[in-house]
Amino acid sequence: MGNLFKKEEAVLLLNKLSDVYDIYAPMVFKGEGCFSDTDSIRYGKITSFDDIVWDKKSDYSFKEVLLPISDTILYFTEKEMKVPDPSEKKRIIFLRSCDLHALKRLDEIYLTNGAEDFYYKRARENTKLILMGCKKSFDSCFCVSMGTNQADNYDAYIKMDKESVYLEPKDEELKTLLEGTESEEASFEIDYVTDNIEKVTIPETLPEGIQDFPLWEEYAGRCVGCGRCNFVCPTCTCFTMQDVFYQDNQKAGERRRVWSSCQVDGFTDMAGNISFRKDQGARMRFKVLHKVYDYKKRFGYHMCVGCGRCEDVCPEYISYLACIHKLGEIKDGGNADE
Amino acid sequence: MDINTKKVKKNAFRISKERGLTASRVRVPGGKCNAKVLGIIKEIAETYGNGNVHLTTRQGFEIEGISLNDMDKVNEMLQPVIEELGINQTNPNTGYPASGTRNVSACIGNRVCPFGNYNTAEFAKRIENAIFPNDLHFKIALTGCANDCIKARMHDFGIIGMTMPQYDPSRCVTCGACVKGCDKLSVKALSKVNDKVVRNEEKCVGCGVCVTKCPTRAFTRSQQKYYRLTIMGRTGKRNPRLGEDFLVWVDEDTIIKVILNTYKFVEKYIDRSAPGGKEHVGYIIDRVGFTEFKKWALDGVELLPETIVNENVYWSGIHYR
Amino acid sequence: MEETQMSNEYIPFLSEIKDVIKHTDIEYTFRMAYVGDVKPGQFFEVSIPKFGEAPISVSGIGEDYVDLTIRRVGKVTNEIFENQVGQTLFMRGPYGNGFDVDLYKGKELIIIAGGTGVSPVKGVIDYFGEHREETAGMTVIAGFKSPKDILFKDSIKRWETQMDLIVTVDKAEEKGYREGMVTAYIPDLNISDLDHVAAIVVGPPIMMKFTVAELMKRGIKEEQIWISQERKMCCGLGKCGHCKMDDTYICLDGPVFNYTKGKKLFD
Repeated sequence: MGNLFKKEEAVLLLNKLSDVYDIYAPMVFKGEGCFSDTDSIRYGKITSFDDIVWDKKSDYSFKEVLLPISDTILYFTEKEMKVPDPSEKKRIIFLRSCDLHALKRLDEIYLTNGAEDFYYKRARENTKLILMGCKKSFDSCFCVSMGTNQADNYDAYIKMDKESVYLEPKDEELKTLLEGTESEEASFEIDYVTDNIEKVTIPETLPEGIQDFPLWEEYAGRCVGCGRCNFVCPTCTCFTMQDVFYQDNQKAGERRRVWSSCQVDGFTDMAGNISFRKDQGARMRFKVLHKVYDYKKRFGYHMCVGCGRCEDVCPEYISYLACIHKLGEIKDGGNADE
Repeated sequence: MDINTKKVKKNAFRISKERGLTASRVRVPGGKCNAKVLGIIKEIAETYGNGNVHLTTRQGFEIEGISLNDMDKVNEMLQPVIEELGINQTNPNTGYPASGTRNVSACIGNRVCPFGNYNTAEFAKRIENAIFPNDLHFKIALTGCANDCIKARMHDFGIIGMTMPQYDPSRCVTCGACVKGCDKLSVKALSKVNDKVVRNEEKCVGCGVCVTKCPTRAFTRSQQKYYRLTIMGRTGKRNPRLGEDFLVWVDEDTIIKVILNTYKFVEKYIDRSAPGGKEHVGYIIDRVGFTEFKKWALDGVELLPETIVNENVYWSGIHYR
Repeated sequence: MEETQMSNEYIPFLSEIKDVIKHTDIEYTFRMAYVGDVKPGQFFEVSIPKFGEAPISVSGIGEDYVDLTIRRVGKVTNEIFENQVGQTLFMRGPYGNGFDVDLYKGKELIIIAGGTGVSPVKGVIDYFGEHREETAGMTVIAGFKSPKDILFKDSIKRWETQMDLIVTVDKAEEKGYREGMVTAYIPDLNISDLDHVAAIVVGPPIMMKFTVAELMKRGIKEEQIWISQERKMCCGLGKCGHCKMDDTYICLDGPVFNYTKGKKLFD
């Protein structure tokens, strides 16, 4: 059972929610795409339900709301260090099923792999997740193959059409907030995709020595190492630490962590000019095997959620899906190129 | 055969080396046309011409081998082309009313090219509508970015697309793609300071490479579209030369005003006794002086605060005379 | 703030520099005040605010201190070297598993280390040097590039009296030094009971690979060999991802691995 709001009532609802929460959803950033007169669809604070983009996949995922791209973790003055204050408001994030599954991966790394991450945890604890249904599959989605087309770890479900907004709360706090609002009782099934054009079968096992198979070699010449595939991925979590002192006051500075990419130069660089995976073929292999092989070895389920954003964004048309298909063709001890 | 050659030329037909034959010059503003135009060109060429069509450097078709007697019929057949391309016409079915100002040509721009900073054909059509028909000899070209594939700098007015890079440090991951891109492909205006990127505003040519290289949308294009307006580049016998920057970080409306003002300037100063009454705008400025031109060009123009006006412009090139 | 600090692993603590031992022009050991559980081979993130953090492995352990041997190779370590006894550095850790000395008790211990690779294993050498009765034999081979690169000269003097010690340099410009790679000494190692050997190998990746191969030629089994892997680390907490090899986070599961596991790790 949920609440059905007419458009004008939905305005009041959003105002009410905005008193308590910063509300993030995929929205259009006009003219901010890579090329001129193209838009970027990514997460931003919405001021109207109409800001939410439904008819397209967001280019970048929700993860930047919980893990800012460039996140200051300590401020330094001459003698002291200070942890930045948490954001004043709680958050609501509107996201799709695949991204809710990605959230589980973020939780895995930031809450259970080693010590709990202070910054992630304090953001995460104050966040409500509202599931956006998918009426249809987008190009390059393969959520059904990855088992991420349905999710249950959400606090409410939202469905919209031109005239109305339907909100079905599961979370008590949201239920209380919706009480006494101007709305009708209603009930809708959750929209989810049952079939994608793209399908993958990820091999259960890979032969030993897979890292040295020739299938990775072609990527050395094709990949330009821009890191877009990592930055759009909802499950990539790597960061690099940066310390700086301010230009205008050299006595003060900050320590921040900044998104990092295993495809970009410098990812493995250590003091003394030592680095690993120097060519892009090895980096592609590192990424792909992480998504569909070694993460599962460690945590028991695949890292990749099948959103296909990496497939959509690659400027060199390197297809992650095609690579998975090639892995699927490898028979134990065999070789994709044979 | 009694033909007024001046009228023929003005009507966009050529006096050819072969007696009795002409060629019809069809302009395509901005170089963009619907493919159905090609069908009509084909029909004209096969019905009245010798079957050959020359693709001109200014993005037109020259339909060869037409009898001077068939000009009226060709003009009638050209009517749907003129309408499709949105050419300002005085009387329907009479072809082109003027041919002095040349076709406004353009590179493919951001309709297709990833480097293009604006829709070149759309802007070309806007200029077309503002200046045509016109008998004065002006050459204008538009190019999407500082690569200048259309060679706008060899025109009286060269319009080079620019974008003012907008940098959001909170989206920057210090991957260095912009810095490297600017260094390898452009003018090395970016540097890394404190693990973020600093843009040297004086050096930056607004090419947009940083924006296309940025993997996280830390660099985006300005909502305002900017241009570099270069002036008085030319080919020719006496002093071929590249156009020099006149206005940098200028907007579309200003460019149109400056071009229209320049027509007024030419009307005022053109040497009517020159052969055929034709004097090229660049030579007029050589004669009258840049300062006088600038006074006319910027008359009534309100520039954006960020627009840079070059107070003095000096051209070089080769002097054969 | 106090409460926050309790659960925020990224906030470092201040530690006083109790001593600075200079080995070479660019390699010093900083003896840092520290009381708490720590094992040889674990590491701390040492930091200078506004300059950055650097993972440094523990090269010695005392009751109220840890030794951190630091090579001056970049922005952060340059800045660390500006500090003197009595001044303080920021640290967080210790991180990683480190060497468990219990695993080597009663064994014929062979430790082979190259260059700065001596640091993580030095605590093990120190411990068994002091407790020779807990081993059935002890040989240490330490390799350095040249005589001027030799680390822990004072400790080496002591070790010479405590165990079979071979210090070798790739190239000796002066007399009085053994020359050659560490691997060259393996064929002649005295091994009395193969089944009771435990070997530790630490150094650059290529050195570890060839050393392990030589040891196996002597009949030592993979499960009798331990290695320590060094990778880029930003967090030490299993988050930043830089140190991951296959399904393993070096900062959490390593850096010390039995070779049966270590050999399977690929970058």
